[in-house]
Amino acid sequence: MVLLLGFFFLPVVLTSVFAFTNMSTATGISGGSYVVTGNLLRSLKDEGLDAKTIDALGQSSYVIDQAGLEKAHAAGVDARFITEIAERLKDRSFTSSTAFERELKTLPSRPTRVRDLKIAAGAFEQSVLNVRYASRGEMEAALTHMLENPPEGAIEKVATASYTGWTWTTENFKNLVITPDTWRIIGNTVFYVVLTLAFNVLVGLFLAITTFYLPPAGSGFFSVLWLLPRITPVVLYAVMWKWFTWEDGFVFNIAQDLGLPAFNYMKGSVASAWTVVILVNGFVGASFGMILFSGALKAIPVQQLWASEVDGASRWQQIRYIILPHMRWPILFVTSYQTLSLLSSYEQIWLTTNGGPGSTTTVWALEAFKTALNNYTGNLQYGLGAAMALILVAVGLILSIVYLRLFRFDEMMSKPKIEF
Amino acid sequence: MTRNFAAWPIILLLTVLSLPLFIMYLFLLVDTFSNTAPGSLLPNEFTLEHWRFLIDPTITGDVWKPTLTTVIFSASLMIIVVSVSATAGYALSRLALPFRRFVLSGIMVMHAFPSVTLIIGVFLVLQFAGLYNSLTGVILVKASLMLPFGIWIMKGFYDAVPWEIEMAGVQDGASRFTVWRRIILPQVKPGLLSLALFAFIDGWSEYMLPRILAPSSDFEVLSMYLNTVSDPNSSTYNFNIFKSVGLFYTLPVLALFVLFQNRLMNIFGGGTKG
Amino acid sequence: MQISINNFTKTFDGTPVIDDMNLTIRDGEMLALLGPSGCGKSTTLFTISGIHRMDKGQLMFGDRDVSGLPSQKRNVGVVFQNYALYPHMNVFENIAFPLTVRKDNKADIDREVRFIAALTHISELLERRPGQLSGGQQQRVALARALVRKPDVLLLDEPLANLDAKLRLEMRSEIRRIQLETGITAVLVTHDQVEAMSMCDRIAIMKKGEIVQIDTPADMYSNPRTSFVAGFLGNPPISLLNGIAMGNTFSIAPIKLRVPLGSHEGIADGTPLKLGVRPEHFGPEGDIAVEGKITFAETQGRENLYDVELADGSVLRSIQPAARNWKLGEPVRWFIDSKSAFVFSDDGLRL
Ligand SMILES: Nc1ncnc2c1ncn2[C@@H]1O[C@H](COP(=O)(O)OP(=O)(O)O)[C@@H](O)[C@H]1O
Ligand SMILES: [Mg+2]
Repeated sequence: MVLLLGFFFLPVVLTSVFAFTNMSTATGISGGSYVVTGNLLRSLKDEGLDAKTIDALGQSSYVIDQAGLEKAHAAGVDARFITEIAERLKDRSFTSSTAFERELKTLPSRPTRVRDLKIAAGAFEQSVLNVRYASRGEMEAALTHMLENPPEGAIEKVATASYTGWTWTTENFKNLVITPDTWRIIGNTVFYVVLTLAFNVLVGLFLAITTFYLPPAGSGFFSVLWLLPRITPVVLYAVMWKWFTWEDGFVFNIAQDLGLPAFNYMKGSVASAWTVVILVNGFVGASFGMILFSGALKAIPVQQLWASEVDGASRWQQIRYIILPHMRWPILFVTSYQTLSLLSSYEQIWLTTNGGPGSTTTVWALEAFKTALNNYTGNLQYGLGAAMALILVAVGLILSIVYLRLFRFDEMMSKPKIEF
Repeated sequence: MTRNFAAWPIILLLTVLSLPLFIMYLFLLVDTFSNTAPGSLLPNEFTLEHWRFLIDPTITGDVWKPTLTTVIFSASLMIIVVSVSATAGYALSRLALPFRRFVLSGIMVMHAFPSVTLIIGVFLVLQFAGLYNSLTGVILVKASLMLPFGIWIMKGFYDAVPWEIEMAGVQDGASRFTVWRRIILPQVKPGLLSLALFAFIDGWSEYMLPRILAPSSDFEVLSMYLNTVSDPNSSTYNFNIFKSVGLFYTLPVLALFVLFQNRLMNIFGGGTKG
Repeated sequence: MQISINNFTKTFDGTPVIDDMNLTIRDGEMLALLGPSGCGKSTTLFTISGIHRMDKGQLMFGDRDVSGLPSQKRNVGVVFQNYALYPHMNVFENIAFPLTVRKDNKADIDREVRFIAALTHISELLERRPGQLSGGQQQRVALARALVRKPDVLLLDEPLANLDAKLRLEMRSEIRRIQLETGITAVLVTHDQVEAMSMCDRIAIMKKGEIVQIDTPADMYSNPRTSFVAGFLGNPPISLLNGIAMGNTFSIAPIKLRVPLGSHEGIADGTPLKLGVRPEHFGPEGDIAVEGKITFAETQGRENLYDVELADGSVLRSIQPAARNWKLGEPVRWFIDSKSAFVFSDDGLRL
């Protein structure tokens, strides 16, 4: 139960939570801190923050205060010199290092070496540039300190922009809606699901019916053959398809011998790539249909078949009028079940065409997975990926509830009969 | 079956449809024992060299360590899934637990629900739990993703055991636990065996989870090992060696499947019976 | 041990199944719970055994209140309709199971099992699995297992329903023999009146969750309290005629049938009534003449069965020795034995 909660409930919650963040490798997944960097100032300028504020943020100032004195002490500045600074310059401030250093040079116990003087001066330097603040409050305090008469809202703006961690946002969904890619991928997904499903159901049905009519040896051979894709580990299965369709692969060689166009069918053209994707998944799914349909076929009373033969039905009529009506529920079942798993599956596509050529065979689940966990730029966008996954989770949840309703699983929930 | 119709047109059609599969699997086997001249389809010599990876780690790296890891992985998975499903399935099938309906519907939705969509969330959970990149983490995740299926299957098997047997046990003075252990459990042994086989095979074939949730850990399961070998950019790239490794990797699964075909059938099609 | 059920009420998902039932099973007697399917017989049985909880009421074993105890603490033996033998254990292990879970020592278990196996005539079967036994043998094993730990009460739920006709006869007497030999208090649930009459000391007839009448088989047959009871007992069943009270007779005016009500005087003229006539009380001999036509005839070997349709369409059933054959369609003038006929009010109560 704990495991189930941990790996079902929690992921669902996290997926929905993170869907509303801009979390990525850059922001990390725990909290961040607040830093004003040169880059940030430049982009703030582009966003129209007034020049005076930007300048002020880029500047350093020198303030003689208790904190500065302690810092100087820690830096090993001569104690007498510190006392003098405290006495004579306390609470004064300077806007440039030259002015401050000039002032320091007037003190009696000033160090002789320029380097030591600079160290002493440095202790009083105050700047927000490249300083890491753990909380927003600290950042804002520093900014207030730095800026005299900042324009309305400037501090908040800078503080927000300076955050390095992830933030809450609905940008992910907005982006999804406005990117044209999204619609292409949805189109791909629908195309993929519909065609693969059709292949699964039709071939599954065909296999079930034909093996049903075959003598046991033949039907045994074919059902085992068609079950192989299902039990073959997906990595091997994918590479077998590569061998079959790749450059120099099996089909390639045959096509060459026959003088047909020979190329890398898996990635060479959109049409062939789709064909491969659908076949790869279709062959795996067909066995699922086959098993269920065969089961349903065996449940048809054989007398009905005999009776139809006595009545003079052709094989086709027998299938059409006796067998198919019995197959309604199994077909509906396979359809809904496979829709659900096809919508979310991307393992086979990932390992074969990987969504290529370009992103022509990329489906939604694959794109979500790539965005969040597996892309080549190295910046994994957990937030955006989670948003994409969340949509799938929602669709999956709705569909699975619908199909549980459809198949009245309620009946399987009968109450325990022993009441003590 | 009925014999009133001619069989050959069907066989022909079936054969054509099955040809790609047949060729792929045939050559999977043949190529591991032979060499084929470039550009040709038919092998021209028999050789065992593609199997040398078994004893010579310089070809593709040591294969036995990933094998051991995979055995550990699949076996732990099997143990967790079977033991939890056996108990939870019984409890859900037979005991009057609080929130029973709620838990049952939860399990059913989880069972129907495509769990791969959760991978991003799972990834984050493991990050937080500090189990990212560890075998334990992957085992736990894989086991939990399989559990709804396992529990559902076992509940189905328990449901099929007549209530009267259980009532008789209780009448005979045995506690519910004793009834479960001594009377009910033996009745669902076929189910347990099927589930165990299925869990083992499923674990053995798993690729995604180790790849995503533990990409750089010290252990490597065979599927990942195989994928490394098959990387077209690697220097050792060679379909024949790949096929040998692949066949080696798949052999246990195939063997189990052939031995227990009938048992597995009711799982592949089961748990999903409407 | 005497078992008593007081004010027992049970509902399933809001549907009342048993309503305020009171029943006492005397020590050492075999009581039949008889009634049509779905009337709550099994529910009652399973409540005694501790599988179902009572919603209301009290269950006493002797003077011990067991209402709140689970099956394990009740010491009840149950024979289920499908026997519920443990398929993975052999016969010996099946019978020994109640003793094993009680952690009796090996020698005791062995002795007890062999004793009970001898009683139930299955000593040669101890090594077999349930799957290798015939229905009757399975039945004996189930009995042995239920009896082996000397329960306070033995409960049998339709024990003969799954047997073929010949075995049913055999097991009927066997169960009774074993019950008498052990002297155990027993409850037999059945929907078959022949079983109930032939095996039991008393019968409790149930209808829709209520007990209508408890009596010995003979008393119940000759003195049914309602038309339901009268209709349930007896094969072929009793025929019921609809009529009205008229001048201290049961009367169906159109066919001029008048059966004196005898001691039941003072019934207002025109009250609707029912007359119950058992097949053996209608035939060529008797006191009240009825004219009709044979519409159904069936030979049963020793006896023949006839349906006689009267002029108004109502039907009287008759059973006659096979010596004389009446043909289908033959008009007859037969007689009702008015002293043996039952008169019921319109709602079925015996007058
Ligand atoms: N576990 C249960 N849940 C709901 N209704 C039940 C249950 N068991 C029995 N019933 C209902 O209670 C009524 C009586 O059942 P039962 O006692 O089995 O009848 P019978 O006299 O045939 O043995 C029936 O209408 C049946 O549908
Ligand atoms: Mg019943």
